[in-house]
Amino acid sequence: MVEKQRGAMRLAACDTAALALGLSAGMALADARARVPDLAVFDHDPAADIALLGWLADGCERYSPACMIDPPQGLLIDITGCTHHFGDDAGRLAKDLKQRLRRQGLTGQIALGATPDSARAKALYAKSAIHALPVEALDAGDKVHQALRRAGLKTLKDLACRPRKPFAARFGKATVVKLARLLEEEDTRITPRRHVPVITVTQNFAEPISRNNDVLDTIATLTHQAAAQLNDRSQGGRRFEVSLFRSDGHVARLAVDTGTPTRDSALLMRLIRERIDTLSDPLDPGFGYDRIQLSVPTADILLPSQAGLETKVDRSAQTAALIDRLSVRLGSDRVRYFAERNSHIPERAVVECAAQSGQPQKDWPQATEAGPPMRPFRLFETPQRVESLASIPDGPPRQFRWRKNLHHIVAYEGPERIAAEWWRRKAGHEPGKGGPTRDYYRVEDSEGRRFWLFRHGLYSETDAPIWYLHGLFA
Amino acid sequence: MNIKAILPTAAFPSVHSAWKQYQPNASPPLLPIGAAEVDRRLHGGIVQAGLHEFFGGAKADSYAAAAFALLLAWRLPDSDAGIFWITGDKERQTSGRLYPLGLSAMGGNPSRIWLVQTADLRDALRAAADTIRSKAAHAVILETHGNARLVDLTSTRRLALAAAESGVLALLVRGDAVPMPSAASTRWQICSAPSVPYPGNAPGLPTFDLRLLRHRGGTAPFAARVTWDHATRSFFDTPLSGGLSAAVTDTEADPQQRFRA
Repeated sequence: MVEKQRGAMRLAACDTAALALGLSAGMALADARARVPDLAVFDHDPAADIALLGWLADGCERYSPACMIDPPQGLLIDITGCTHHFGDDAGRLAKDLKQRLRRQGLTGQIALGATPDSARAKALYAKSAIHALPVEALDAGDKVHQALRRAGLKTLKDLACRPRKPFAARFGKATVVKLARLLEEEDTRITPRRHVPVITVTQNFAEPISRNNDVLDTIATLTHQAAAQLNDRSQGGRRFEVSLFRSDGHVARLAVDTGTPTRDSALLMRLIRERIDTLSDPLDPGFGYDRIQLSVPTADILLPSQAGLETKVDRSAQTAALIDRLSVRLGSDRVRYFAERNSHIPERAVVECAAQSGQPQKDWPQATEAGPPMRPFRLFETPQRVESLASIPDGPPRQFRWRKNLHHIVAYEGPERIAAEWWRRKAGHEPGKGGPTRDYYRVEDSEGRRFWLFRHGLYSETDAPIWYLHGLFA
Repeated sequence: MNIKAILPTAAFPSVHSAWKQYQPNASPPLLPIGAAEVDRRLHGGIVQAGLHEFFGGAKADSYAAAAFALLLAWRLPDSDAGIFWITGDKERQTSGRLYPLGLSAMGGNPSRIWLVQTADLRDALRAAADTIRSKAAHAVILETHGNARLVDLTSTRRLALAAAESGVLALLVRGDAVPMPSAASTRWQICSAPSVPYPGNAPGLPTFDLRLLRHRGGTAPFAARVTWDHATRSFFDTPLSGGLSAAVTDTEADPQQRFRA
């Protein structure tokens, strides 16, 4: 692997064969070529490395929900309380991981430690005992390492038995803390890649399963279990994630979101089926799944409700179920409700929000008692440009052409003048820089169609204002 | 032998009355349009639990058809059930989005509207069928544009059956399309009509020219002009004004002819 460092091509990483030939990372490519003329080099791609680590970390979630990438080449897995599948033997877990890595054609140095730092250092220096680690494991900078070596302290064993106070005075507190963590005297937590879910239920298979129905049946069972757990906690899930661990290490994930907290397993199964149906590429079981996991990353309080004696239809629950279903199928941004925003520009006054994100706004302005509607019932997101003819420059249009049709205007009302939001513009408060004003006209053409037109800019603001069609009245 | 005696009606009058009580209503509930003349011709209104089709008279009248369908949905009594507006990406591109400030100005309540936007017509039809079936909706409006092969007898029959079962008002807006055989209870052609101007020659209330093209109940086709009153949330018959001939209300009259004249 080569990369460009300060203008020179240097080796970024090399494999064991290259190491055996005396090459090492950091060497200039020209020097390496001189030593080994038939050297095979590839471009270093750190992003791909991280992606591979991410893929591995996904697969490692079979061991523990708390996995973390330790760049550039490490993975940290917190297996506290996760070894029961391996007979409470962490060594068997490590062996299993090593086997799975080997099946992927990867080699890894696996080490177990009571703290993340010790495990990382053991893996890095390929030692099984902490005391055998060199002082470089402290990772405290070359100066410190050199000073320690000069003092004859070469391994952590030499450091461990010495008093800490003079050590702290000489090398700083951070080094002592690091030492304590390496010696497993002080514990730290890792930051998992993914939020540890509220509830996780899993099903392992001795023999991988690949039939779609079996997978769905398993998910249904898991859903029941998760629902029961949620029921015990008086909670309802807002998001449900199904992780399908393929026997070759790949993990497929499906997630469904719900608008309201739920623990109705039948409803969840419907949503999950819907989700599977809408996958752009269908589930590929490959050689089969050997573990299926259902997790609930977010949950809210959901108190049990008592069903009434009368069979009254619960509209809000039905609506929520329908919206969840459509959102899962079409995408959550495709089912929406209206919300008002604080703006006087017509197209900015209203937004559409995803239906799962909240409840629709209730208080809309009421219709005025008398008079026709002053706002169109349909609005174009981008106003449509029209060719228009006005009888006097600042007056209403006489006729206009839209989508190749000519409309003769017989009735109009206006102008309704809507100023631009000058505060959004740079130096908008200065005269003439606030943006063009719009003059809106409600017009009716000779065939009875009603439109909302505006002239973009007054004649005092611009020489040739453009007319736009912005909305349609009923 | 008296045969009548063995009939449950005569033998157990109480059973018969109880039976009658649990019988579904013989005549399905009707939704009156509000305009007296139109309701008289329709014998009370359109079937509430049914599918109704609205065609635009001309290409530019598809908006009028959509507006009329939406106003019909507002004729339904207020309830917590929503009105689902299902539209495709293409339709939204050509005819703009619904504007809630305009909807409330027409007397409606925008908080009842749920927008469903689909990538294509196939998804839209499926979403509409599911929405109708779910009973969560009070009315479902499906907006389509152009001559769509997918909106055929089969798909409309699916919608109509679902609507009849769940009691949902299903409205199918077909802009810029030619009427084809379908399973709809009624089929209408809607055009914008000149409104009665307000003082100062300002455009007036929403006015439509309706033409009933087909009615499953056998009502003869007719044409009428109605205006929407947002205060009472109902349509009313509109006297013809301006340079239009009175023949427009005639059953044979074609609203299209008015434009040519």
